[in-house]
Amino acid sequence: MRRSVLKTCAAFCGMLFTIQMAVGQSRQVSGVVRDSEGRPLAGVTVKAGGQTATTDQAGTYRITVEGATAALTFTSVGLQPLDVAVNNREEINAVLTGTAVDLDDVVVVGYGGVKKSDLTGSVATLKGSDLNRTPASSVDQLLQGKIPGVQVAISSGQPGAGATVRIRGNSSLSGSNAPLVVVDGFPWGDAGDLKQINPDDIESIEVLKDASSAAIYGSRGANGVIMVTTKKARAGTPRITLNTLHTLSSLSVKPDLWRDGIEEAVYANEAARNGGTPLSQLPYLGEVRSGVYFPSIAELRGLDPNKPQWSTNTDWVNLVYRNPFSQNYTLGIDGGSDNTKYSMSGNYYKEEGLAIKNAYDKYTGRLNLDQKVNHAISAGTNIILTYTNNTGQNLSAGRSRIFPVYDENGNYFRTSAMDFGNPIAIANEVLNKSKTIDVLGTLFFNVKFTEWLQFRTQLSTKFGNAVGDVYEPASVTFRGYENTGYGATNNFNNNELVNENYLTLDKTFHDIHRLNVVGGFSLQNSKTRTSNLMGMNFVNDNLQNENLNSAKTKVISNGLSASTLHSWFGRANYALLDKYLVTVTGRADGSTKFGDNNKWAFFPSAAIAWKLNEESFMSDISFFSELKMRASYGLTGNQGISPYQTLDRFGSERYYVGAQNGFMTGFGPGLAGANNEQGLTIVGGLGNKSLKWETTTSYDIGLDIGLMDQRFTVTLDYYNKHTKDLLRTRTIAPSSGFDQQWVNDGEISNRGFELGFNAHIIQQDDLFWSVGGNFALNRNKVIAMGESDRVVTGSLIEMVRQNINHFIIGQPMYAFYGYRANGIIQSLEDGIEAGLTGAEALPGEIKYMDISGVNGEPDGTIDPTYDRMVIGDPTPNFIYSFNTSLSYKRIDLSAQFYGVYGNDIFDLQKMTPSRQIQRWTPDNPSNLYPRANNTRGYKASDFFVEDGSFLRLQNLTVGYNFRPGLVRGISTIRVYASGNNLATFTKFNRGFDPEVGIDGINWGNYPRPRAYSFGLTVGF
Amino acid sequence: MNFNKIIVGLCLSALIGGTFFSCSKLSEEPYGIVNSNSFYKTADDAVSGLIYAYAILPEVGYYSRGYYIITELPTENLTAKSDAGQANFELDQLRTTSTNADLDNLWTYLYRGIARANAVIANVPNVPNMPEADQNQIIGEGYFLRALHYFNLVRLFGEVPLRLEPLVEAEQIPAEKSTIPQIYEVIINDLKQGEALMTLNKNFEGRANRAAAQALLAKVYLHMASSGSSNALGYDFVGNADLLYQEALTYADKVVNQQQVFNFTDILPDIWNTEVYKNAAVSEHIFDAAVDRTGEREGNYSKLPNMFLPDPGFVMTIPYNPSDPNSSMINIGRGWNHFQMEAAHFDSYNDSDKRKTDLIVSQVVNPDGNTIELGINDFSRPFTRKFIDPLRDADKMSTNSPIIRFSDILLVYAEAAGPTVEGYAAVNKIRTRAGLGPLPANLSMSEFRQAVIEERAYELAFEGNRLFDLRRTNTMQKILVEKYGKSITSGAYFFPIPQRELDANPLMKP
Repeated sequence: MRRSVLKTCAAFCGMLFTIQMAVGQSRQVSGVVRDSEGRPLAGVTVKAGGQTATTDQAGTYRITVEGATAALTFTSVGLQPLDVAVNNREEINAVLTGTAVDLDDVVVVGYGGVKKSDLTGSVATLKGSDLNRTPASSVDQLLQGKIPGVQVAISSGQPGAGATVRIRGNSSLSGSNAPLVVVDGFPWGDAGDLKQINPDDIESIEVLKDASSAAIYGSRGANGVIMVTTKKARAGTPRITLNTLHTLSSLSVKPDLWRDGIEEAVYANEAARNGGTPLSQLPYLGEVRSGVYFPSIAELRGLDPNKPQWSTNTDWVNLVYRNPFSQNYTLGIDGGSDNTKYSMSGNYYKEEGLAIKNAYDKYTGRLNLDQKVNHAISAGTNIILTYTNNTGQNLSAGRSRIFPVYDENGNYFRTSAMDFGNPIAIANEVLNKSKTIDVLGTLFFNVKFTEWLQFRTQLSTKFGNAVGDVYEPASVTFRGYENTGYGATNNFNNNELVNENYLTLDKTFHDIHRLNVVGGFSLQNSKTRTSNLMGMNFVNDNLQNENLNSAKTKVISNGLSASTLHSWFGRANYALLDKYLVTVTGRADGSTKFGDNNKWAFFPSAAIAWKLNEESFMSDISFFSELKMRASYGLTGNQGISPYQTLDRFGSERYYVGAQNGFMTGFGPGLAGANNEQGLTIVGGLGNKSLKWETTTSYDIGLDIGLMDQRFTVTLDYYNKHTKDLLRTRTIAPSSGFDQQWVNDGEISNRGFELGFNAHIIQQDDLFWSVGGNFALNRNKVIAMGESDRVVTGSLIEMVRQNINHFIIGQPMYAFYGYRANGIIQSLEDGIEAGLTGAEALPGEIKYMDISGVNGEPDGTIDPTYDRMVIGDPTPNFIYSFNTSLSYKRIDLSAQFYGVYGNDIFDLQKMTPSRQIQRWTPDNPSNLYPRANNTRGYKASDFFVEDGSFLRLQNLTVGYNFRPGLVRGISTIRVYASGNNLATFTKFNRGFDPEVGIDGINWGNYPRPRAYSFGLTVGF
Repeated sequence: MNFNKIIVGLCLSALIGGTFFSCSKLSEEPYGIVNSNSFYKTADDAVSGLIYAYAILPEVGYYSRGYYIITELPTENLTAKSDAGQANFELDQLRTTSTNADLDNLWTYLYRGIARANAVIANVPNVPNMPEADQNQIIGEGYFLRALHYFNLVRLFGEVPLRLEPLVEAEQIPAEKSTIPQIYEVIINDLKQGEALMTLNKNFEGRANRAAAQALLAKVYLHMASSGSSNALGYDFVGNADLLYQEALTYADKVVNQQQVFNFTDILPDIWNTEVYKNAAVSEHIFDAAVDRTGEREGNYSKLPNMFLPDPGFVMTIPYNPSDPNSSMINIGRGWNHFQMEAAHFDSYNDSDKRKTDLIVSQVVNPDGNTIELGINDFSRPFTRKFIDPLRDADKMSTNSPIIRFSDILLVYAEAAGPTVEGYAAVNKIRTRAGLGPLPANLSMSEFRQAVIEERAYELAFEGNRLFDLRRTNTMQKILVEKYGKSITSGAYFFPIPQRELDANPLMKP
């Protein structure tokens, strides 16, 4: 404090001195201009009175200053201008900040780039520096709210959990809906778990949204493409940067659990009694049940004259959750000569989970080398190594407070021999660990035949390995009990090999015809091998899964799936007079995954754009720095099916035929897949030789507006996507012997509108204020699904014994389907009148509505055929976000809000203890919450459907940039504090976060942390 | 110059690469997958295909649990523990709907079994270079299995779609319901094929032979005959029931009197001793869904006993044969207390009936050596010891699920024969073993048949016969409601066809 006062005084004196001295002298001032991350900025215009200079490649400038000049003005297109007082200094270094994208910036669009101003399709771009600084194990999570039309749903707060990413809605029923991720020109696959990239290494992210831009990825482009570009090597003296982030987190919502053992026991007894348990068999009667003493209500209250008050009152929330501490460090270095450039970085990331003993560690290394072989040939490599280690699991804190963690002998307390719910036992005794190693490498050669023609060949490989270790002791989990100890080692190996070769032609003819053509071919091979080793029945738990061979029963499974993709692709961009732009793109994909009858697919697209601001009639209206109209049309595909799905596949099973022959192995039709929640194995394996890609036909109309040298920018897009030949697993009649088959039928449409804007409202000497935001509205509708009007999707929910999410003609995907509820039954007559029978008609139960019947009118019974209807839509009406940043001198402040509006949530966790307390009783004739009843078979009804709209204060960051050169050898120091998930405004169930998955079901996932981070960025 | 060479090289490689893959067929080489292109080529494939058809039987959804849930809960024999779930209680209280998960489950498994049997019937005749006798035996077993599944279907659901060909294309999926007589025609035809193609040899556990086909045929004819004569719902097509009784008698006679590979077991607990019935040259078990405790997963071994066994909080020990004072004690573990015996059934036995005293456990010994009484209204109730495995490995048990038992066919014989000398002899043989006296002489035809049905209720209790006996005698209302005070809302004679089938099969109507 004292120091800064002194400094201010000194500065003030200096100013006086300057004024006094400023008489007709001229002298030289020099310095370095850098961006906010400490990198030198070239081409910055420096003005001092009438003098002008420009920074060179190293960011340095030299300018003559007349004596009377008080300030230097630094300007660069797309960055916030800066005025710096001269104050008699000879060296003035400056830092320019800003987010606006330069119209001359090259935007990565796949197999090359185009100038931002020449874009004809709908492409959004985001700089790495714009990503929020908060712990994120996958980059995808950081895209939330950043780009209009890109929806990111993070349904779990578990460390290492991915995100669900959707661009312009869902367009596939059971194929993948995730965008394709392309990293440095290498197609990696589905977005959602981009853990291999360190966010600090990202230079930019481009999102290809419309068919014109995504068609270059053909049969993988229908869900949009996310292009990630990592930081590239740059020549110059070595620069070292260090980023650190330390984060302390807490639960962002207070779990809605019983706060009091008495109420919990009263409720349990009442629920058992209403559920038909004989009075003598109620749980809390002060009797021993299966060897465990259950206190009576009186004893819990301390009113039993013969017993002391029950003293156990376990606070499971405190035992299960913690305030985790997470760390993130990145050290990077780049530099080199004009011929050899390098960039490398290392990252360590550790995220602790909210649940105890749950943590995620990640190490990332990256090397980027670029060598100029001679004037025509350059070569380079890009290598990324990632190692992750994930331990622990989600734990439930919803256990009875009445019982302790440990029994009197120090063993884990169990309420019965079949009680496997003690979270402390699970945290301590269950082994659940997964490790992944990813190695990604790209090697390229670039040959420049002439100034306008070059050839690039690129060989990329991706190797991914994951090993999962599981052990469940016999006394802790049901699976462990069932198998007398269950151990497993699960191995996963994935290899991708991609070779891409293409020519690029870039030439201007007669000054008015600019042509850019890309054409080439690519080969991609993918191979995934898995092996799962399981052991059951161990002598003891000492070795966990370390010696599976000692298990009495061993089960092995292995598999391999391989596919090959061959492609031809091409794109031509043509600009006439720099005003009229045309793009034509096409890709032909041949895949082994497609059925014999359909091996090759072709995806063409075209786009036009008109730069009105370049027209002579607009030349008077100079405040338009950009005014561009765009239109595009084209086809893209989705091949999100697994290999071999077009073939018929047999299942295998064993049968015992007596001691002599033991078990024999059988093969035959019907391939057993996963079990559903009721233990029913879902059988597939019926082939389909005509199976092929899905085709999305889409058009996009857009308008880009930039005012006052891009100080205010607006981008508007309207699109219409129509997807046909939908890949889906049709649920087939079980009487066929199969449960499902992959088919192409059905259509979906997505229409929508997107708006993005950015305004640099104040741009003054020391004060900058900008506001940005985006808004996306998507209307999704299922148009046809072959012979079906309604198809179930997702999984069967045991609690309501049906699937919630359905695909229904005319409705948005994942619509909720079920009964209507109309409050609570108040009398038996009320229940019978409603068409209910038996226990369902009793007072206090949910009153379901008799909507229709065989004859099209209510028939006095509630049945699944006539009384179910659409009861909710999990898709938001719109998604929006806005952000603002304010900087004054060296202090900056930014905030981001993110919201979704108009979506429904099927709240499986609706009956939380705080609502159970408000239950219907004869004395409390609630019309909101049913009576306690532990044998109630809930129907899937709108009783569970709640409004899921929310607005979240996603991020708030306060930063301070220290004066460059403050410490010798250090060019920049920035410190900041960042809060993430700080506040959520919603009407949803207060015990849970309203952000659930795409299916809109509140499963009670891993809670989401509220994170407080402290970060440091140092540039040397 | 070097540079030019590189360019030439690159262009060349581009050209080669381009030519190479434009010619490639992109055909798929499946890895680790057997399918119709590669299977049913050898005699071993034929056996393997048949094994696959059998393997459906001991699945959890079928004879290892599902079948018992559906056939036992609706009767007066069993109810379920209070948290057994909605579907169980709908069955127990006879108020089933089309969304009942247990019915959906069994329906699915029955048709999976049919699909597997169809694959055997259609493909095995085309396997080259196979001894005809082996081929016939396998095809005959395929027919037997298909008939068994359809017999279960028609008794549970009534009119159902008939699928007689392997499903290779989706176009075959829509299928209408067939009528009950059409379904019986297939069942009878399949069993007659099975009888003709199979030998009487019993070489394997859990596989059918000629006697199994004859036994099942006897049950089929009896079901039709009694349903017809009692005017049970859906059986008006049965014209002359006496002819069908005669057919039932003919086939039961083949099993009871004309073969030696299966026979009557004199000591009740021995019928249920896995080490006896799996190893003896001759046993009561004409056809079982076979399992063994060395299996890897449920379906290979059985957990069915846990459904019947209570969980009194300790491992239970019981005498092997209470009628034998020198009987050893056996440790039977503990179960899940899922099925709970109803007082209606327990109280209706004659007190000296050995099927109550020897096969229903009312007291158990705990590890401290104390005898614990189980009350019929307690949480841990008396339970049947038909399904136990004293050699159990944790929850892995070798308890086969009996599908056709000699005593069952003996009672079929008696019921079909009526109050003849042979009829009396057959039923009294069962009663004698149970420690009861003979049936009163000179019973009328209907009195006699009613007495045999009653005998079946005790002899075959918990084996999945009672529901069908009540249905085929048109006595669901009379016995369950009027005698035992249960209520019936729906599904008395035929359970509703599962909603998933109605939704996915466009030709299917409820």
